[in-house]
Amino acid sequence: MDETQHRVDEVRRERSKLENHLIDEYVLGKITRRELVRRGTVVGMSLPLLSFIAAACGGDDDDGAATGTGGTETTATGDVQPGGTIRVALIQPTTEPNPLLVQDEGGAGMLGATGEYLSFSDENLELQPRIAESWEPNEDGSAWTFTIRQGVTFHNGATLTANDVVETFEKLINPDGGSVNAQSALGGVLSPGNTEAPDDATVVFNLDAPNGNFPTLVSSANYNAIIIPADLDPADWGQTFEGTGPFKLQNFSPQVGATFVRNDAYWGEPANPETIDVKFYAEEGPMVVAFQGDEVDFVEHFSVAGGRALLEDPNTQVIAISTATHRQLHMRTDKEPFTDARVRQAIALSIDRAALVDGLWEGRAEIGNDSPFAPLYPSTDTTVAQREQDLDQARQLLADAGMEGFEVQLDTWDGFEIPDLAQLVKNYAQEIGVTVSLKITDAATYYGDGVFGKSTWLDSVMGITDYGHRPVPNVYLSSVYTSEGTWNAAHFKNPQADQLIAQYVAALDVDSQKAAAKQIQELLLEETPVILPYFYNFLSAAKPNLQNAISAATGQFDLSRAGFTA
Amino acid sequence: MGRFLLKRLGLAAITLFLLSVLVFFGAQVLPGNVARRILGPFADQAAVDALNEELGTDQPLLTQYWDWISGLLTGDLGESLALGVPVGELIGDALVNSFKLAALAFVLVVPLAILGGVVAALRRDRLTDRVITIGGLSLAVLPEFVTGIVLILVFGLWLEILPVSANAPPGSGFFTQIKYLLLPAFVLVILLFGYIARITRAGTIEALDADYTRTAVLKGLPRRTVIQRHVLRNSLLPTIAVVATQTGYLIGGLVVVETLFNYPGMGRLIVTASRQKDLPLLEAGVLVVGIVFLVAMLLADLMYSLLNPRIRYSRAE
Repeated sequence: MDETQHRVDEVRRERSKLENHLIDEYVLGKITRRELVRRGTVVGMSLPLLSFIAAACGGDDDDGAATGTGGTETTATGDVQPGGTIRVALIQPTTEPNPLLVQDEGGAGMLGATGEYLSFSDENLELQPRIAESWEPNEDGSAWTFTIRQGVTFHNGATLTANDVVETFEKLINPDGGSVNAQSALGGVLSPGNTEAPDDATVVFNLDAPNGNFPTLVSSANYNAIIIPADLDPADWGQTFEGTGPFKLQNFSPQVGATFVRNDAYWGEPANPETIDVKFYAEEGPMVVAFQGDEVDFVEHFSVAGGRALLEDPNTQVIAISTATHRQLHMRTDKEPFTDARVRQAIALSIDRAALVDGLWEGRAEIGNDSPFAPLYPSTDTTVAQREQDLDQARQLLADAGMEGFEVQLDTWDGFEIPDLAQLVKNYAQEIGVTVSLKITDAATYYGDGVFGKSTWLDSVMGITDYGHRPVPNVYLSSVYTSEGTWNAAHFKNPQADQLIAQYVAALDVDSQKAAAKQIQELLLEETPVILPYFYNFLSAAKPNLQNAISAATGQFDLSRAGFTA
Repeated sequence: MGRFLLKRLGLAAITLFLLSVLVFFGAQVLPGNVARRILGPFADQAAVDALNEELGTDQPLLTQYWDWISGLLTGDLGESLALGVPVGELIGDALVNSFKLAALAFVLVVPLAILGGVVAALRRDRLTDRVITIGGLSLAVLPEFVTGIVLILVFGLWLEILPVSANAPPGSGFFTQIKYLLLPAFVLVILLFGYIARITRAGTIEALDADYTRTAVLKGLPRRTVIQRHVLRNSLLPTIAVVATQTGYLIGGLVVVETLFNYPGMGRLIVTASRQKDLPLLEAGVLVVGIVFLVAMLLADLMYSLLNPRIRYSRAE
C-alpha cells in the first residue's frame, strides 16, 4: 500500500488544482467511482489514470461499471462479422448540411456522420477523446489547453492541425453569421479571438470566466462543433462533408438520404462496416414501418408515442439513453391567475407524475421535480424531496389563496406527446376545480418570433414548451430561470435565483455545484414558476443481430464498431 | 389549330403568372419567417435578422417578387433557402419520381376503371353494376392513409411480398422500381377507380340510350361493333376530362401517399417548402405542377377533338 500511496502522491503532484480537488472528493467519499470517472474525463484525466486512482484511493467498489462504461474505442464484441452495410433511418434534416446552421437532430446526424469533435460525449456524459488527445485546465479553470492528436487527416488528404480547430471555433462563435446553436452553449463562455494555437498540436481556450464544464461545451454535445478545415467555408460543407471521421461521404441527396463509406485513412482503428446507408424520413410512422418491414437496420430515434409497436416487438433491440430532454409547463408569475405561488404549487401538486411516465412514456422516462436538474446530472441533489400528487393539499392551497374554480388558457403546439400531456394537465386541473382550456397550434404559431411580445411561447399565461437535451444544465438555468433570461416564459424574476444560478455556473467542482443546485431546486419548488413532470429517454431501435450501435441524445450516431452477428 | 394553340398558350401564361403571384403573397400569410425557420425558435433575434438580410428575405415583398420573377425569366430558378442547393435539381428529381408513380397508377387504373364503367353500364342495375359502382365509391371515400396502412400491413409486413417504402435503391432496374411503386400505386388505384368508373358508366349509359346507337343497332350492326365504334367513342369523352384533371393531383398533391411510403416526390417537396417558407422552392414547385396540369388539360382537349369530330377547333374558335 505504501508503494501505491507513493505513486498516488506522484500522480497528484502533476495534476492541476481542479483535478486534485476531484480526487479529494473521491477519497472523502463525496462522489462515487462512476462520478469520478465522469467528472475526471471532463477535466481531462485519462481513463487508465482514473482507473488507477479509483483502485488506489477507492476501496469500496460501489459501482463496478465505472471502467466498463468508460468505453475505450476498441470494445467491439468478438462475434461481429466484418464489413457489411448498415441501413439507417434518420429524421429528415430541416436545413442544408452546414455546421453553422444545423439546429436539428437529422442535421446533427449528418454532421456527426463524417465529422469528428474534440471529444465524444457518450451516453454516460463521459468524454471520449477524439481530435483532442487530452485536455487540462489552468489553476482556476479560466483557460483550457487541448492537445491535438497528430497524424489526423481530412478526407481530402490534408493534415489536421491546431489551426483548423481554432478556425472552427472562431467561425462558430462569430457574432456576425456564426452558429446560433453553438453560441447558445458558448455565449458568455468563450469570446472571439481568445482561442489560440501556440503550435500545431496545442489549442488554448482563454475563457471569459472560469468554467469547470468547458470540455463538454466543445465536445459532440455541442453538435455543431465538428472540426472542419480552416480554409473551408461552412456554407460549402454540404458539397463534400469534409471531416476526419471513420466514414466519408459517397453521396448526399437532400430530402432523400446519404451514403457513407469506410475511410481507410482513418487515424484510429478503421470502421467495421463498409457502408452506412442513411434514408431520411419526414415522419416517424413510415420510419417505424420501414424498420418492421426490414428495410432499415437501425432507427436513430423514435418516440414512445410514434413507435409503441417497437417497444413490444421481440425483433427489436431498444437502446435507451437517459437525457435531460423535457417538457416545461410555465405559469406567468406576473399575471393572474398565477401571481400567487400557492396557485402555481397547487397545479403542480395536482399532477400524477408516475402516471404520466407510465402512460405517455411506457416507463421510459424519469420523474421530474420541477427544476431542470435532471437525475442524470452529477450536480443534481437527489436528496431534495420529490414533489408527489396531493389533491387535498392542492385544493387547500387554492382555498388559502382565494383562487378556487378559476379558468385559464393553456397554449402549446401539436408535436410529440405534447397534446396528450396538455390534455392530461387539463384533466388533473379539473380535479382541483381549475378549468383549463387548450389552444393547440402548430409549432411556428406557438413559437412565433421567439422574442417577448411576439411569441405565444413567451407571452402566454400558461404554456408547454419542449426543451432538448443539454449535457450540463447551464443553458437552461441562465436562459429560463434568471430575471434577464431570454426564454423566461414564466416571467420569473427572483434575485435569489439569479444569484444562486451565477454561483452554480461559476462553481468548478461537483461539491459546490451540488450545494448551489440544492438551493436552486428548493427555491424552484417553493416558487414553482414552471412544472417539469419528466425527463424522457432517448430511444433508438436496432435489429437484434446488429451489435455495438451507439446513439447520442444530441442526434449523432456512431456505427464505426457496429456489425451484424451471424 | 395553330391559332387555337396560341390562344391556349397565352391563357396558360396568364394563369401561371396569377398562380405565382397568389403563391408568393399567399405564403406571406403563414406565420414566422425563413430565417426563424432555419435557425429555430431559440435563436437570437439579431441572428435571425442577419440571416434574413443575407437571404434577401428582409426586402419588401415586391422587390423579392421582382428578383424572383426576373431570375425565372432568365431561366434561373434560384437556390432553396433552407436546403442551399439549386431549386432546379430538387424539382427535377422530385418531378421524375412523381411522374413514375403517376404513370404506374394511370397504367393500372385507367384501363381497369374504363372496363369497370363500361361493364357496369352494360349490366345496368344488375348485381355486377351495383358491385362496381357502390364498391368503387366505398373504396374511393376511404382516406389514403387508411388504405395505405392496410396495404402496408397486409402486403409489406404480413405477407412480406412487397416493399413498404416506394423509393427503390439507387441503380435499380425497371422492374425493381415498379415493384417498389406497386403499393402506393394501389392506393391511388383504389382512390381513383370508383370515380373514373362512375364517369365512364354515366357516359356509356348516355351513349347507349342515344339515337345514333339505336340506329346502329337497328341497321343490324353486331353488338361488338356498336359498342366499339359508336358507344365507346362517345362515352369516353367525359372520362378523358376527368383523367386529365387528376394529373395535377397525382403530380403535386400526393402528400399523404408520399409521406406514408417515404417517397421523395413533388407533393412532399412542396409541403416542406411551404412549412419552411422556402419561397423559391415553393414557387417553382407550384409552377411546375401548374404547368403539368395545363399541359394535361391541353392534351385532353386535343384528344377530345380527335374522338369527337363535332368539336373541330378550326371551326370552334
